[in-house]
This record gives sequence, structure tokens and C-alpha cells, in this order.
Amino acid sequence: MDNAILLGPIFIPLAGASLGVMLARNRTYQHALALVASVLAWLCSIVILAANLNGEILTYQLGGWAPPFGIVLVADQLTSVFALMATTVMLGGVLYALGCRDKSVSSPMFMPLFLCMGVGLNGSLYTGDIFTLFVFIELMVISSVILVAISDNRLGLEAAIKYLFISGVGSLFLLTGIAALYATFGTLNMADIGRLLASGERPLLAQAAAVMLMCAFLLKSGVFPFHFWQPDFHTTAPTPVHSVLSSVVVKAGIYSIIRMITLMFTDEAPLIQNILVVLGIIGIFFGSLAALRTYDAKRILAYSTFAQVGFILVGIGWGSPLALAAAIVYAFNHSLIKAALLMITGYIASRTAAKTSRLSEIGGAGKTLPLAGLLYFVGGLALAGVPPLNGFISKLTLVQGGIGVGQWVALGLVVGAGTLTLLYMTRTWQLIFQVQPAEPVKMKSYGDSALAPALLIVMCVVLGLYASPLIDLAMRAVEQIGDPTLYIRAVLGG
Amino acid sequence: MNTLFAIATGIMFGMGIFQILRRDLIKAAMGFYILFAAVNLLFLSVGAYDGLIAPYVDAAGQTSAQPSDPLVQALILTAIVISFGSYALLLGLIAVTSRRFRTVDSDEVDHLKG
Repeated sequence: MDNAILLGPIFIPLAGASLGVMLARNRTYQHALALVASVLAWLCSIVILAANLNGEILTYQLGGWAPPFGIVLVADQLTSVFALMATTVMLGGVLYALGCRDKSVSSPMFMPLFLCMGVGLNGSLYTGDIFTLFVFIELMVISSVILVAISDNRLGLEAAIKYLFISGVGSLFLLTGIAALYATFGTLNMADIGRLLASGERPLLAQAAAVMLMCAFLLKSGVFPFHFWQPDFHTTAPTPVHSVLSSVVVKAGIYSIIRMITLMFTDEAPLIQNILVVLGIIGIFFGSLAALRTYDAKRILAYSTFAQVGFILVGIGWGSPLALAAAIVYAFNHSLIKAALLMITGYIASRTAAKTSRLSEIGGAGKTLPLAGLLYFVGGLALAGVPPLNGFISKLTLVQGGIGVGQWVALGLVVGAGTLTLLYMTRTWQLIFQVQPAEPVKMKSYGDSALAPALLIVMCVVLGLYASPLIDLAMRAVEQIGDPTLYIRAVLGG
Repeated sequence: MNTLFAIATGIMFGMGIFQILRRDLIKAAMGFYILFAAVNLLFLSVGAYDGLIAPYVDAAGQTSAQPSDPLVQALILTAIVISFGSYALLLGLIAVTSRRFRTVDSDEVDHLKG
């Protein structure tokens, strides 16, 4: 079993971050190194995806210790799809940061921390060991807290403290859950826990562990009862960090939830899924309505993430293969769209005198930026789910999944709330690009680069026109996770 | 699980939750650390369920009758490093807050409204 390629997406950015700290005096080399590291990580994730297209599950034993004792990295098709999404958006974030004029981005520690966040994200996807999952999630949390605390927005500090407190308590729940699982089964390997849970014995402590893990993952994704930190923390982040936080970092929790209910707690899954549908629908309405009443372009998109995560949770909650595949497609497409929209908002905000995204300041500012207007228009339509863009594909598969399950009330609510997305995106677009400002907005002639959002929007259009490869991939991933014994046999052998 | 550890974990958890809900950010940060220490102790006691003797191998290569589980001790070493790092970061952020907003009262640091 020599799949050393699995080390790539984790250790290449980590090496880039460590070398970046040494190169702190030379910003040009540091940024070039970060770009190279994230391109290599992206290529590695593509190679891994290509390698398990035929259904093979790749594993790599760190240090040669066989599971369940050693730490093992695992890539099945679900992991590969999520990792491709994560590395793509991280690459976009690094590209945007290279052309970004924020003061915080030129700080010598920005790029190393940004890469560390990517390491935590990729690591939490690839790991097959639940304690390593905790370590990678903490790496992600601590790097993102520092990145937000050094934000140009002075309030970033307050949001960072708030998030560190909340996320710290969330991590405690994760750790307590892990301790409960270890006390019950004496193992930390997810495949081994899955095997022992499937073999019949089901102590009460394991169910308590399921509740704690669930709470921790929902908190990391900013789902309804644990959402209150999310808009503040995301809005005050520097634009490249915000575009990564709001799109892929929240998906790490989603991925762990999918892994938990398909691999480990398969018997409890129906109960968990019912809860997820309810939480998802509350999140959709709460997020969409809050986005309608908000007067900051970045905050609208942060609330929109809250709503869109709700759609994904509903897909997971319906639980049929088609609905689960829809959730995966939805997660992938939403990441690209949301990252692009946030970068365009940053592109506009960086050109205003106050460098803010408050609608009172940038209202009408978009009139002089036709390129941003076009990109935002396409991205907004994609988010709202208008054909032929990729957002339409994800909503369509989700609705097909809902029809297949026959949960008509939930389906009606989801489709109805989908129109709210169109409503708040239209409102934001009008307020930025259409409205005639009372006095002419003073615009600087320079600002952030539009390269990264343009590339992401092109990907959105392409994924809308050629949607079937991604849907095929998601369907095959769902087929694979539908049978947990495949994963268990690949990890534990025999 | 050792009864003493169970009671200690419970008391520390209660203390931590009480402190973390206070308005003073420094006291809240201390509560944060007490909470982490409580969970670390819980994790440690999970490994001590079948023995409280240190897991050493003697000269003849024999382990003592009921050694405690060494793996959890390695794990909480990692967890302690992480919690210590978070705590240090938190105190650093609070120090900057006290300079920037001239207060450590969490009710007065509430400028985030959208």
C-alpha cells in the first residue's frame, strides 16, 4: 500500500507555510512559494481523484504503522470530491491574495497562516483517525482566528475572540466525544469504530458520543442553533480569508457529518437525518430572511452561506442516494459560486475610499466597474439557481432527490425558500450596480485583481453547461459510501 | 473510571462553565482553560479504567499486572499543547482588545452589529 500521493495535499502546503515563515523578509518569494504550493496541492488532489475513479479506496499508513494502531490517511471518492473543491477554492484564495491590496495581506505571516488553514482543511478531509481530525480542525480554527484578528477591519479582533471562545467549547465537545468513543471501543480509527458499531454491541456511551460529535460538527459548519458567530466572524475577515471561510471551511463540518452517518453511526442515521432536515429548513429561512434585512454586501453573503448550508443539510437529511449526491453537488457548486461572489465584493470594496462593503458606501459604486457587474450578475444568478448555471444543476438534483423521497412538505419549503435567494441577490445587485447614488462615489483607479473571481465564475459556467461529470462523480461517491464495509475493508485489510 | 477523577472532572467542568459565562474576558479565558483541563483529565481517566500503574516494561520485559493505557497519555499531550496554544492566543487577543477598546468587559466590546 504505497499511496504516498495522499501526503501531497497536506504536507506540500505545510512545507510551503514553514518555508514561508523563513522567507518572511522577502514577500515576493514567499508569495511565489505559496502559489506553487497551492498549485501542487491542487494537482495532487486531481491525481488522487483520477486514481480512485475506478472505485479503489486509497490508503496511506503514516510511519508504516498498520491501522487500527497507526494513523491512516484515506481517500475514497467522497473525500476526493470534497478535497478537489477545497484545494480549488484555496488556490483561488491564494491567487486573490496575491493581487489584494489589504494591509493585512501584506503582513509577513499572512501567507503561512493562510496555507496552514488549507492544511487543516485538507487534513480533516483525508484523515481516517478521529483524533487526528480534531488536531486538523484545531489547526484550521487557530489559523483562521489569527487571520481574522489581523484583519483591516478593526472589529475583526472582537469577532476573533468571540469565535475562539465558541469554537473552543465546540472542540471540547469533540474531544469529549472522542474520549467517550475511546472508552467504549478502545480505538480511534474511524473504520475500526464503524466495524465495532456494526458488529452489534451499542453501549449508551457511544450514543452520547454521537450527540457530542454532531454538536461539534454542526458548530463548525455554523448550522442553526450554533450559527450566531458565523456572520460576524466571516464579515470581518480579510476578503481572501472570507472567501475561503464562507465557502469551503464550513464544508469540513458537513463532510464529517456525512462520514459519521454513513460510516460510523449507521443505525442512528435516520434519527440524525430527521434532525438535519429540520435544522436545515430553519437555517434556510433564517439565513435568507436575515440576508434580506442586512446592509453590508459581505454580511449578506455570510448569511447566504448560512442559508445554503441549510440546503445541503436537507439533502443529507433526505438520505436517499440521489439526495445525498445532490448534497455533494450542491456543496461543490456553492463553494465556487460563494468564493467568486465574495472576491468580487472585495474587488469593489477595495476601490472605494472607505474600503468597506457597507451598502451605504458602495451603493451605486458598481456603475463604473462593468467587469465586476458582469461577474457579480452571473454569480448571483448561479447562487439563485437560474439555468444554465451550476447553481441550477445543484438545485435541480436536490429537488429530484426530494421528489424521490416523497417528503412533500420539506420539498415545498425548500423550493419556496429558493426564491428568497433570488430575491436577496437581486436586491444586492441593484443596490450595488443599479441605484443612482445621491452624490457621486469617489473611486480609486486601483484595487484588488479580478483574476481569481473571473476564473471561478468561468468554472461555474462550465460546470453548469457540462454538469454530468460532477453528478456522475457524486453518484459514484454515494454508491461507495452506501456500503461502509468497502471503506472498512480498505482501511483495515482482510 | 476512577471515582475521584470523575468527581474532579465534574467540579472542574462546572467551574469552567461558570467562569466562561462571566463578563470579564480574562476570567472567561481562565474558564476556557479550566474547561480544557477538565476534558484532559476526563481523557486521562478513560485510560486508567483497568489500572492505575504506570505502563512501564521492567528489565525482564514484563509489564506490571494492570498498567494504565499509555495511548491516552500521548493523546492528551497533544490536546494539552493545543489547549495551551488556544489559551495563549486568546490572552493575546484580550491584551490587544484591552488596548484598542480600553476595556475587558465583554458587554462593552459589542461593536459588531449588522
